[in-house]
Amino acid sequence: MSLSLNMSLLAAVIASSILSGTSLFYATLGELVGERAGIVNLGLEGLMLIGASAGFAVTASSGDAYLGLIAAALAGSAANMIFAYVVVGRRANQLAAGLTLMFFGLGASTLIGRPFVGEVVAGLPHFGFGGFGSYDLLVWLALPNALGFWALLFRTRWGLALRAVGEDPAAAFAAGKSPNLIRYQALAIAGALGAIGGAHLALALTHTWDEGMTAGRGFIAIALVIFAKWNPLWALVGALVFGGAEIAQLELQARGADVSPFLMSMIPYLLTLIVLIFWGFNHRAAAPAALGRNFFGVE
Amino acid sequence: MSRLRYYLSLCLLLLVGAMPAHAAGLVVGAIYVGSINDYGYNQSMHEGLVAMKEAVPGTKLLEAENVPETAEASRVMEGMIQQGAKLIFATSFGHQQAAFDLAKQHPDVVFEHAGGWMQAANFGNFFAATQAAWYPMGVAAGKMTKSNTLGFVAGVPIGYVIGNINAFALGARSVNPKAEVRVVAIGSWSDKAKEAAAAGALIDQGADVVTMHVDSPATVIQTAESRGVYSIGFQSLAAEKLAPKGWLTGLGFTWGPFMTETAKSVIAGTFKPAMVRDGLGKMMAVAPFGSAVPEPVRAVVTASADKVAAGFNPFTGPIVDNAGTVRIKEGESWGGDKMGNFDWYVEGVVGKAK
Amino acid sequence: MLRQRLQRAAAIALAALVVFGLILVIDGKDPLRAYHDTLVYVFGNRYGFSELLVRMSPLILTAVAVALPSRLGLINVGGEGQLYMGGWLATAGALGFPDLPAWLLLPLLTMLGFLGGALWALLPALLRVGKIVNETISTLLLNYVAPLIVSYFIFGPWRSEESSSYPQSPAFVPAARLPTLDGTRIHLGLVYSVICVVLYGYVLARTRWGLDMRAIGGNAEASLRLGIPVSAYVIAAMMIAGGIAGIAGMVEVSAIQGRLVAQLSPGYGYIGFLVAWLAGGSATAILLMAFLFAVVSSTGDILQITQGVPSAVINILIAVILFIVLGQRQRPRAAS
Repeated sequence: MSLSLNMSLLAAVIASSILSGTSLFYATLGELVGERAGIVNLGLEGLMLIGASAGFAVTASSGDAYLGLIAAALAGSAANMIFAYVVVGRRANQLAAGLTLMFFGLGASTLIGRPFVGEVVAGLPHFGFGGFGSYDLLVWLALPNALGFWALLFRTRWGLALRAVGEDPAAAFAAGKSPNLIRYQALAIAGALGAIGGAHLALALTHTWDEGMTAGRGFIAIALVIFAKWNPLWALVGALVFGGAEIAQLELQARGADVSPFLMSMIPYLLTLIVLIFWGFNHRAAAPAALGRNFFGVE
Repeated sequence: MSRLRYYLSLCLLLLVGAMPAHAAGLVVGAIYVGSINDYGYNQSMHEGLVAMKEAVPGTKLLEAENVPETAEASRVMEGMIQQGAKLIFATSFGHQQAAFDLAKQHPDVVFEHAGGWMQAANFGNFFAATQAAWYPMGVAAGKMTKSNTLGFVAGVPIGYVIGNINAFALGARSVNPKAEVRVVAIGSWSDKAKEAAAAGALIDQGADVVTMHVDSPATVIQTAESRGVYSIGFQSLAAEKLAPKGWLTGLGFTWGPFMTETAKSVIAGTFKPAMVRDGLGKMMAVAPFGSAVPEPVRAVVTASADKVAAGFNPFTGPIVDNAGTVRIKEGESWGGDKMGNFDWYVEGVVGKAK
Repeated sequence: MLRQRLQRAAAIALAALVVFGLILVIDGKDPLRAYHDTLVYVFGNRYGFSELLVRMSPLILTAVAVALPSRLGLINVGGEGQLYMGGWLATAGALGFPDLPAWLLLPLLTMLGFLGGALWALLPALLRVGKIVNETISTLLLNYVAPLIVSYFIFGPWRSEESSSYPQSPAFVPAARLPTLDGTRIHLGLVYSVICVVLYGYVLARTRWGLDMRAIGGNAEASLRLGIPVSAYVIAAMMIAGGIAGIAGMVEVSAIQGRLVAQLSPGYGYIGFLVAWLAGGSATAILLMAFLFAVVSSTGDILQITQGVPSAVINILIAVILFIVLGQRQRPRAAS
């Protein structure tokens, strides 16, 4: 195969990976913000489904995909507020509450999306800047969001307070912050981002809706947060890697290559585990110390 | 204590009042692996059943969507039998074992499975002879392609699906010897995100005609349309409106008459299990051509479809696989019973079937 | 005390049923008919009731798999992966020894199921003991890998020839199938579940090991100073827990599916986590909670068949119940 053909193939793979990784990125970003505040949310899958179904429903009904995005964000935020109340307000077990949110999302999204199964929407419009290809708004905003949230977390007072709450809520409280309020704010944002990640799947990738269509991506995003060391910039890289792995095996199949899609899909998780083991040996505590209460961090 | 007695008697009353009066007509149960609005396979089955229901007065139809292809399906079917179903349609390939095992436990209920091969006194099997019908689709693709690369998104790469791909390739190469078919299998009958990515991958490889064997053609067609390539549909005749520019043609199922006949035979007590495989003209139809297809091509495709409906078998030797081995010798041909045995691709298909 | 708890439970159930009923009404369905149908077809019906027991079985096992380590303060979310690996190793045995008689083969498969799950939990256990990676993360990550391993095998080396290359393993020989009760799907695996939960309750409450484990859960540092081999207990607890989840996997392939399939578990590991959490680690409560989940998911099936509501919608009822319960608990439980 000639070099130019290989290059154009590489470009095509990167383009598809960007598209696939974007929804993962937003979901990861949302989970990351929550975890930086000390809350782990296993219900991200449910949030993504709610975002996908609500976004699709509104887009199909109104014809406006941006309206759908807004609806998705609102729905996700609202759903996450239930989780937030239970976990922050009532101090319930985060893992159980997260799994509950996942079930809720599975059921609610099926109900919301049911009248729209089989419909096809035009989805988010594509546009481009010069030779960089033509993508939808969420893709273009991915890098700005990564930078923006990095700045938010590491360069603003709110971000500092958020991280303080995630490390040591008692100390943050003593310093005059309100851990609970900050956590609510973080989870509101997290809910919106997670839902946007799901909406991107329906509005930009498939243009259709079917129940359970996120197929575990919410859980992948949770693993991604760990992979990204709770840093928005690495989250972007990780989303490309994880999204790319999925794309790569399909592209390789289309090339006629004989590679097992399952072995390839395992790579991101094994990679994450290896990275964690490596850090663990170096005793670098990268996770927010108060994450999940007694849950992360070593004794 | 009296409150407890009150609640208990309430429950008892509910239970007693619960005995459902059995419907006068036939109760038919149907399980689908996906949604009935999928513009594809499940929708075609549902439409066939609705047609049956209208043709046989008094029939009650129980349906369950998104029933997984595991032993869990037997739970759903059993639930329908508990509701009085005497005829069960297990519409997806992977429902076969569960339905077959259940049939053994309920000799008074008739089961019809779609796409398999098992049979018993109360268990019949039906499907369309899809393989040969894919040949004229290949002809259409072969004629319309400019890049000579055709893309096929396959759901679960079982023998029958591989047979479809092979027939498609044979048809394409019969009018365009340079055409080659690339295949991407997504591993399940329906995963919209993977379907979109698979179609994209094929188009990245240069395919300018894309088709599929997954439950719903919608996502693949949609992806093809948004990238400006042609598409050929499968499973449902209604899919044309998804691709106003790129639609070429497609195949659709017409299950209604068979289902009606079966229901009538169950009512009359004359049901006989059979392995029904009817092709173009009976269980399948060719979808209307899209505006992109010029008249001469339409004529060639239609002629090819007519040939198939009249009995032409594309799997007539000599046929060579894509590694060079002769698989069907000169003078031999592979009939309907062999369609599940494909584990090799014909010459012109890129990839390994196993 | 018991009366209070029962009243509380009844109040929660009622609240959840009302909320869910409202949602059904908004969707244009009839909740009263749904609940009534459940009573009839689940409780008033031999087959329906037997299905309840069938549904409970894996949940009891995966719940014990969470509850046992939780008594030591460990969090095992890896039930899903351990289940798959148990099913995988049991399949290897079933496919490798098809000629053995049932009385030899079934115990062998059971042991292999246990071993598969136990080994899958070993790595997280070691990482935890070595203070390298927290077991919550490691078990969670391994949950993704296990089903991929299963898929690799059924699409590849173990692919069944007989069903036209459909991705599943060949069917198990009859000797490899756990026997069932006539006319129902109740299988010997249910006995495994009951044995496991009873043993769990007994060991924790009445043996020296149980005492040690609870001590570790209370204060690991102090236990260590008292001479309790904390690391050994951690590894043992995780491996036994993994093994129990692995048995659930073996039961799935041997009793329910009769072969290895790609989707062995519709989330039993995670539901087991919720069951264990709701039960607060008590063995009797695990049985009760598993029963509750089984009833609710049966309702989902019935809703689908009688009213055309997608069975996934029943997850809303599960979620509502759980959110209400979560909203109640304020004391941190020993399990967390």
